Amino acid sequence: MKRLVVPLLAIAAWLLPYGLDPYAIHVVDVAIIFALLGIGLGLVMGVAGQINLAQVAFFGIGAYTCAILTTRAGLGFWVAAALAVLAAVAIGLVVSIPALRVQSHYLGIVTLGLALAFINWTTNAALAGKSEGISDLPVPPLFGVDLSSEYLFYYVEIVVFAIALAFALFVVRSPLGRRMRAMRDDSLAAGALGAEIPLLRITAFVLSGLYGGVAGVLYAGLIRYIAPETFSIANMFLLLAMVIIGGRQSIVGCVIGAVALSLIREVLVDFSVYAQLGYGTVVVLMVVFAPTGLAGLPVRLRARLRGRTGGDRRGPAELRPFTPYGEAPSGDPTGVVLEIRAVGMRFKGLRALDDVSLEVGAGEIRGVVGPNGSGKTTLFNIISGFYTASSGRVVLRGTDVTGAAPYRLAQLGVARTFQNLRLFGDLTVRENVLVALDRTRTSWIWRYVALPWTVVRQDRALSAQADELLDRYGLTDFAGARPQSLPYGIQRRIEIARAMAMSPRLLLLDEPAAGLNGEEVRLLGEMVRSLRDSGVTVVIIEHNMGLVMSLCDQVTVLSSGRVIADGPPAAVAVVPEVIEAYLGDSTYMSHESQDTTSRDATSQDTTSQDTTEAAR
Amino acid sequence: MFPRKLHRTITAAAAVTALATLAACAAPGESTGGTADATGPIKIANVNAQSGQLSPLGKWENKGVKLAIDAANKAGGINGRQIQLDLFDNQGDPTVGTNLARKIASEGYIAMLGTSESAVTLAMAPILKDAKIPNITSGQSPKLAALKSPFLFLNAPTSVTYDETLAKYLVDTKGYKKIALITNNGTYGAGERDAFLASLKTRGITPLGDEVVTPDQKDFSASLTTIRQQEPEVLFIGAEEVESGLIAKQARELGLKAVFAGGAPMGTEPYLTTAGQENAEGSVVSSPYLSNDTDDASRTFAAAYQTAFGEEAEVHGAKAYDGARILVEALKQTGGEGGQKLADAIRATKLDGLLGDFAYDESGVGIHATQIGLVTSGKLVPQTAS
Repeated sequence: MKRLVVPLLAIAAWLLPYGLDPYAIHVVDVAIIFALLGIGLGLVMGVAGQINLAQVAFFGIGAYTCAILTTRAGLGFWVAAALAVLAAVAIGLVVSIPALRVQSHYLGIVTLGLALAFINWTTNAALAGKSEGISDLPVPPLFGVDLSSEYLFYYVEIVVFAIALAFALFVVRSPLGRRMRAMRDDSLAAGALGAEIPLLRITAFVLSGLYGGVAGVLYAGLIRYIAPETFSIANMFLLLAMVIIGGRQSIVGCVIGAVALSLIREVLVDFSVYAQLGYGTVVVLMVVFAPTGLAGLPVRLRARLRGRTGGDRRGPAELRPFTPYGEAPSGDPTGVVLEIRAVGMRFKGLRALDDVSLEVGAGEIRGVVGPNGSGKTTLFNIISGFYTASSGRVVLRGTDVTGAAPYRLAQLGVARTFQNLRLFGDLTVRENVLVALDRTRTSWIWRYVALPWTVVRQDRALSAQADELLDRYGLTDFAGARPQSLPYGIQRRIEIARAMAMSPRLLLLDEPAAGLNGEEVRLLGEMVRSLRDSGVTVVIIEHNMGLVMSLCDQVTVLSSGRVIADGPPAAVAVVPEVIEAYLGDSTYMSHESQDTTSRDATSQDTTSQDTTEAAR
Repeated sequence: MFPRKLHRTITAAAAVTALATLAACAAPGESTGGTADATGPIKIANVNAQSGQLSPLGKWENKGVKLAIDAANKAGGINGRQIQLDLFDNQGDPTVGTNLARKIASEGYIAMLGTSESAVTLAMAPILKDAKIPNITSGQSPKLAALKSPFLFLNAPTSVTYDETLAKYLVDTKGYKKIALITNNGTYGAGERDAFLASLKTRGITPLGDEVVTPDQKDFSASLTTIRQQEPEVLFIGAEEVESGLIAKQARELGLKAVFAGGAPMGTEPYLTTAGQENAEGSVVSSPYLSNDTDDASRTFAAAYQTAFGEEAEVHGAKAYDGARILVEALKQTGGEGGQKLADAIRATKLDGLLGDFAYDESGVGIHATQIGLVTSGKLVPQTAS
């Protein structure tokens, strides 16, 4: 059935012009151009999560460059078109630079500024024909086919559109698109999994520039007249409405939204005051009631229906046992894996860490314990690159990595989990694991254009590995589920599986037992031991003292940002300072703790006053 | 499994090929096209901005057009056929304009009146030319005339004419030499600036100042202070009605003594109200339609306009009214037929209109002169140019 969709659509697209009058075909031609813009905006905003209000400027740059080069410089249409697309891509590259530093609404302001600057330039520059625009663009030549006929131009457009849509779908479903979606859901976690965030953001804007440029060129060839009003902020809003109504996270949704709104705009052309009001209302309603847009409606309806009929009909999904890893193939590598030298960390006036030093040997399980606010998570954030230490050095296998970006550390073999879980919510469990499995560098992306089949082959290989990994962790039944829909204990295991998918050499576990029941904690202990046996060095923050005592080879105790004890568990437990530090701060429940990576990881609570059994 | 899949693929491929062959026999869209009925009402499209920044212009134009067409229908129409006037909103957007051009072409409209935005008219012109639909536009950009489309006509002079007349009066008649400009960078303002600068250049005059503002600006003190220091005798204002009024008002408040001069907007009611009668006093206006009180024709028009819409007529309505009357005259000649015949008929129409005597040349310009008026006690008083 699914296989028939593409040929059927192709035939429908082929025959469509025969049923249309010249007006309708023109409307369709314009709608296709908006659909291309919608794909570009969907890629950058929906898939990569970068707010981009400059899409209409990319569109304009494509159209204007093409117009200026053909009418003023006398270049041929297709040469000008190629240069115009390059220009739009180049501007996309420029716009991505602020995106490296600012995000969300700040990025919105920056890109909006660019769009306004572009409109200003076109209305004032003599080169761009000022407000009267540029007329008399040449008809694109095509082996004697008369492209001034909008029917024939339609076929050119539909071919370009099909290629563009196929490429966009390919990108979204490929490892690159998965990384972008992971970045959208949680850029910190994506960085910790080795996704090169800066390069990914640049790629997203470049793609958006590419689609904008192509749409601009087609516009220039179709209308053969350009003026600033076409690229106004009002049209940017229209574009935004198309993407939001269609469903920004789905490329097909963006296309549907663009085509639907273009057609509705034509129907409403005689009531345009109300039309603007109508778009506004519809956008607001969609955002509030159907944030995933038209494309997300079937899924939501199905979910609603299933909720009403009471549960799914599939067999009961269960968490299967973990299959331990084999022993490390080679003899235990000896030496120091991680060395922290006199690290200090200050947040304004607050001293979170003060002169902390520790060494973790290869194949060790190191516990880091201490009362809430003692700086444990801050230490993890420094090791994994989220924070840069105010003083001191972090050395990884003899390499100084102080201040390295998370993705760089990830590439060097550092993996971590998070205190309060940072799974990618809009990705399936399988995709979560796949993001981590993909160890290719983002600079590999030239292959998407040049050698797409190698991407497919690689993706297939990753897929097999993912199945194997999910099976090892007993997660096969949940491969297609969204993490949020799963019980907490399973999410914990997914996070460990995801971290292990990176084949790390150093694994940082931040309170992995938090929220687990007794049996689950026991299984966790076995799992961590198996991970160590496979050659991974483990550092674990944990409040469950039973687990720490039974699992760890060495324990480091932090209190108020200082190391107060360091040694084998039994030795540490009797150090007077440790008992004192724990006096009044014992049976920690992890749910009290707050966001690990936010600055308030160090802000303090002085909760329960119980004594700890375990610390004794 | 495999052979069946292959079989299905082959079938699909064969089907596509068959359809393609079938399709190749006739390229789509060859036979279709809007063919106008010889019976029933004659369909005329009025395309104007009804929303957006320029919608006031569009509304005035529509009233002028309506007045003329209603009168024609009341007088029996064309050969007993009524004229059906439909209004379309171009939103001031050229892309929407091209959509509308296709729409009116395919829905059997035989002529188009409007738009008041030159940019939209420019975008629509090639499509209307291909569809052989005559268009009488209210735009006055020189670029419209430069197209030399046989289906495009202007219902007013181009900016060049306005400003040539103005420069002639100011420089040649009055002997002013110290002139400064303030214009906006919209289509209208930019056209005015280019045309007036060209007229000054031919007279060997370099303006003291040349300030450019934006169409939605409200505070002009920065530009006007610069101009004040140049102490011009004349300040040329190239902007729409309300903006011109704001500029005049703020210039006087800053103590600028120069005479204000400009095109048609400065003879209108909104200009006079915004600027204030005192400030507008003495403004020199170049316009083909000075007031509702110049002669019998304008008085009749103004009275009819007042009755129909309950408001005072102004230049945009008058322009559109003239354009619509020319179309009606031409339709009477062709007996309701459109196409090349109608275009020829429009070109041949000589009309003694509100704006002057229309006589179209090959570039589609029918009026080649404007008049000079002076704002005196809140009224525009014609000046007999030397």
